[in-house]
Amino acid sequence: MPDRYALGLDIGGTFTDFVLVDRERDQVISHKHLTTYPDPSLGALQGLDELMGLSSLHLADLDLIVHSTTLVTNAIIERRGERAGLLTTAGFVSLLDLGREQRYDAYDLFLEYPEPLIPTFLRREVHERTLADGSIHVRVRPEDVVTAAQELVEAGAQALAICFLHAYRNPENERAAAAAIRARFPQLPLSLSSEVAPVMGEWERLSTTVADAYVRRTVDEYVQRLASELAARGFGGRFSLMLSEGGATSPATARAFPIRLLESGPAAGVLAAAEIGRRRGLQDLLALDMGGTTAKASLVEEGAPRPARELEVARVHRFKPGSGLPIRIPSIELLEIGAGGGSIGWVDDLGLLRVGPRSAAAEPGPACYGLGGEEPTVTDADLLLGYLDPEFFLGGQMRLDVAAARQAVERLAHKLGLDVPACAAGICAVVNENMAAAARLHVIERGHDPRRFVLIASGGAGPCHALGVARLLGVRQVILPMGAGTLSSVGCLTAPLSFALDRTAVAPLEGLDWEAVEALLGAMEVEARGALAAAGAQEDRIDLHRSVDMRMVGQIHHIRVPLPHGRIGPHLRQPLVDAFHASYQRLFAVSQHAAPLEVVTWHVVARQPASPPAGRIVSRAGEEACKGRRRAYFAGAFVETPVYDRYTLQPGAVVSGPAIVEERESTALLHPGDYATVDHEGNLVVEVGE
Amino acid sequence: MNVIQDPASLQIIWSRLISITEEMFTVVWRTAFTPVVAIIQDHGCEVLDAEGNCLAHAPSSMPAFNLTMPNVARAVLERFPFRSIGPGDVFITNDPWLSAGHLPDICLIAPVFHRDRLVAFCGTIAHANDIGGSNDDRRVRSIFEEGLQIPLLKLYDAGERNETLYALIRANVRGAEEVLGDLEALVAADTMGARRVQALLVEYDLPDMTELSMAIQSRTESAARAGIAAIPDGVYHASVPFDAMGEPLTLTAAVHVQGSDLRVNYTGTSRQVERGGINATLAYTRAQTFYSLMCALTPHLPNNEGSLRPLAIEAPPGSILNCTHPAPVNMRLRSGWHLNTVLYRALAEALGDRVMAGSGFLGAMQARGRREDGALYNVPFFFGGGQGASLGRDGRAGYIYPSTAAGMSVEVFESRAPLMIRSKTLLPDSGGAGRWRGGPGQRVVVTTLPGWPDPVEILLTPDRLLCPAPGLLGGRPGSPTRVSLNGEPPAPDSTFYSDGYLTLTSDEDVLVWDHAGGGGYGDPGERDPDLLERDLAMRFIKLRPV
Repeated sequence: MPDRYALGLDIGGTFTDFVLVDRERDQVISHKHLTTYPDPSLGALQGLDELMGLSSLHLADLDLIVHSTTLVTNAIIERRGERAGLLTTAGFVSLLDLGREQRYDAYDLFLEYPEPLIPTFLRREVHERTLADGSIHVRVRPEDVVTAAQELVEAGAQALAICFLHAYRNPENERAAAAAIRARFPQLPLSLSSEVAPVMGEWERLSTTVADAYVRRTVDEYVQRLASELAARGFGGRFSLMLSEGGATSPATARAFPIRLLESGPAAGVLAAAEIGRRRGLQDLLALDMGGTTAKASLVEEGAPRPARELEVARVHRFKPGSGLPIRIPSIELLEIGAGGGSIGWVDDLGLLRVGPRSAAAEPGPACYGLGGEEPTVTDADLLLGYLDPEFFLGGQMRLDVAAARQAVERLAHKLGLDVPACAAGICAVVNENMAAAARLHVIERGHDPRRFVLIASGGAGPCHALGVARLLGVRQVILPMGAGTLSSVGCLTAPLSFALDRTAVAPLEGLDWEAVEALLGAMEVEARGALAAAGAQEDRIDLHRSVDMRMVGQIHHIRVPLPHGRIGPHLRQPLVDAFHASYQRLFAVSQHAAPLEVVTWHVVARQPASPPAGRIVSRAGEEACKGRRRAYFAGAFVETPVYDRYTLQPGAVVSGPAIVEERESTALLHPGDYATVDHEGNLVVEVGE
Repeated sequence: MNVIQDPASLQIIWSRLISITEEMFTVVWRTAFTPVVAIIQDHGCEVLDAEGNCLAHAPSSMPAFNLTMPNVARAVLERFPFRSIGPGDVFITNDPWLSAGHLPDICLIAPVFHRDRLVAFCGTIAHANDIGGSNDDRRVRSIFEEGLQIPLLKLYDAGERNETLYALIRANVRGAEEVLGDLEALVAADTMGARRVQALLVEYDLPDMTELSMAIQSRTESAARAGIAAIPDGVYHASVPFDAMGEPLTLTAAVHVQGSDLRVNYTGTSRQVERGGINATLAYTRAQTFYSLMCALTPHLPNNEGSLRPLAIEAPPGSILNCTHPAPVNMRLRSGWHLNTVLYRALAEALGDRVMAGSGFLGAMQARGRREDGALYNVPFFFGGGQGASLGRDGRAGYIYPSTAAGMSVEVFESRAPLMIRSKTLLPDSGGAGRWRGGPGQRVVVTTLPGWPDPVEILLTPDRLLCPAPGLLGGRPGSPTRVSLNGEPPAPDSTFYSDGYLTLTSDEDVLVWDHAGGGGYGDPGERDPDLLERDLAMRFIKLRPV
């Protein structure tokens, strides 16, 4: 059987998760290890050794390892990348300081913005200029570029970003500059804006290119080290890395486009949710992953994770859009909400209860962790309300301190004039509303009705809050997957091999030069197929997906429209017009057929679908699923609530709320009226009560 | 304890109200037809109670809109017999003295009914792409030249469209279909907001908004009063010069603080000007004043009528801050935006940690002409001046304040106008010196596209040409704005001064625009030497001060 033993490996901020699948025997083994700093590959390798022991296998037996990691995000947030230099068009050296020039909060006079990743002394201007139509006004002079690069290397630059105006339209000057530098400094890694993010908009392209250069060495060394360590331990199978776009790629491609690893882990989680939905025949899903500090929400539309137009990393102000660095890469869209198990409850100037976005994170963590945290968090509230068992946190690996939680919540309750349970219930209600409000707006802005979606909850705190959030959104069905706390590692194994390319080429649809389009798409296809082949794809199994961003002439917002398979030519004009108007009507509920249209950016994605594992974690048949009862708080009172062991619930089992279902990494909470069945893969499928 | 008294439930209902306004806001920009709404998002949405008090507004709403919508709702209650207000009505006006201060800003207000009673209003204001009238903003002498005036009328009566009014608007504005399309976006938002408010009342089993409104307003008022009470009682004076292209004018403010009440009096401010609509109506002055005060006093409070109750304002009739009909008002932000400068100067002594020095504001130009194919183009380019410094913080560069608009992309601009931005770079030594330095201004250099055969007219609206952004508490002013063509400032008789535009006749002509830096804060002699070194390294300054 091809790829009989496949391993998903996700390195998160706190834990490193492993999922090992034996496709022949249809079995899954999962494992967890603490993430190690500063070198997360150490923890990964240790955990891997432990897992091999548990499974009586050797690394040499594994056929495939797919890996997702927070390495890139953390390198940018914590400024642990390498010193990089910038070459840019003369007259625009300040762009990195100026950014979008937009205030993201109208009432705050003292807004914070992230420091540029490249300081002024590591930037040089190059006398060159390309015009908006792609014609070259001033050619690059190799000797200028080499001199500038020399200075930057002497100043300590470990990598260079090259970003010239209008290079998305014509990359010649950037390529000439790169060639001159490579001839002189063959070892110096280069990030070209025309390769990293060939899209219109100099600030977003620059920000992305600079971030790419900034993490290039870090990713390079990490990937090489991990690959060689795996090889040294006898691993001879395929090793691939998860990209933000929701596909896996070869180590070589990941090293060539390091910034694309940015949302590697969360993308894997969304893929896992999409796969669970696919097997249940569900097309439209809202995936909600609630961890310690933030929650991430993503839409799966018609079975596919929704692509993002732009990401933002390292937000410096309460997760506010506009307070971070924009990154334009092919990616799954993720909405980040400042709501997690560690979110802190507090009283605002109005005397009202607020929760988050400040978080106790992992250190000191919620008060109940007993690590010195004194502020009341969502996890403390969950504990006091009886939702969590102090003796069975992380399957009993960690004991929770109820007295510390009570003290923390009591102080807050006192300020609000509430008793402790009411205050704890308030914390839960407010954090649920925070997630629901953000998700509701996100869904509506994309032209959907949230009530139509099925919610899939994951993350350590997700299953405990999902049914509360579902009620606020009007969602009727919630799926709580088995292993909800380790969904990203599962997602790694469902990832297709994939590589996406974007190229901006604005032109009116009327009179479009279809031959030029054909040439452009052809070149993109060759490049994408090449990257896929390098990752081990079989030529005959590669699917190509093409789409184009379109808008009415004069508009700025655009809509992505799929391009039919087959030949490129003028016969595509009418189908594109029709598809555009259909999307426009759905999104905006209005149509304006008279306006001429233009094409903006072409997208090509090459994919080789994975064969997702069907295995499930083996349940322990024959044991009593209900392991006891405890008092839990619903609608203003504590009631005796049955507690189930997730691992003994058999397919077909039925659980009526109120109920608590415990597994190692998370606890699911069913409210009164909820009705759950266990499907054949062990997922809890919950019909939401009134 | 009922839901209104419970601090967790009230927080949830309140945030739900804010979500409703956010949803309205999204409906507007997603369904609007013109870029000024769809992209720049020059609009605002709010929910008001049955008396016309603001309860919640969308966080991204333009502050001046939030603060003027209640005037319109109250005017509806005053001017229309109560029984003539019913479900399906939508009221409209663009009266600058009632609403947002100039004719393009159109306000739509819809009453919300629940159990057959008026319980709330949903309101939106958006900037219309065109409202008729003259395009030569700087030449107009009265509001009659500035476009179509819409008094407070019903746009919809019990769900029926007022076709007469539609026909009148259609006949008076350029690009009427787009403008009317934007109006429909506002109607859609108000209607959706009304439905959501009704659903909220049902969900929480509330008969109306009365109790909720009182709770929201009283809690906000207490917090706002606490902010004012922290200021020592007294009268705080300031006067600052400002200019809107060539004409020096003065804003004078006296801020009276007594206990938890604050009153601003603008006696001593320049008279309204006859030509060029830089006059502010009292409604607009009030909005910009309260907005500036909220930023300093209660930046993290959700705003509603409660935050305004402790505040009052007076401005002499006939002054540039309380102009009388039919004064032209279209460019009123060129006076109204300067109010934060004079107010923060007045309050600096008492609230030194909450205010900032004067900022360089917005540089705006518009390229106009005809393409080779005969099509007209009219492409804006926005960029920010330096931010004023504040206690503990240097000002930022490229800071479009007090707006929330974004700067324009050079690549997008060059793809739409036959111009080339040759450079756009920080101006060394332009931020005012101080213990904390003002944000640097920018130099933008513009030429026509190489080989472009035709002249290109550029409409410029610079600010701070004569009067730089002042510093605070010993901080130095930023550098003023300077505009030059081929190395020379425009001649005194240039169209630049009379009409606001310059013409590039060939690709040899070079327009250089040095936009103002922000003012400094505190004595420059006290600046941390390490920060000076950093300023040198960042090229914010060229030389160490001696």
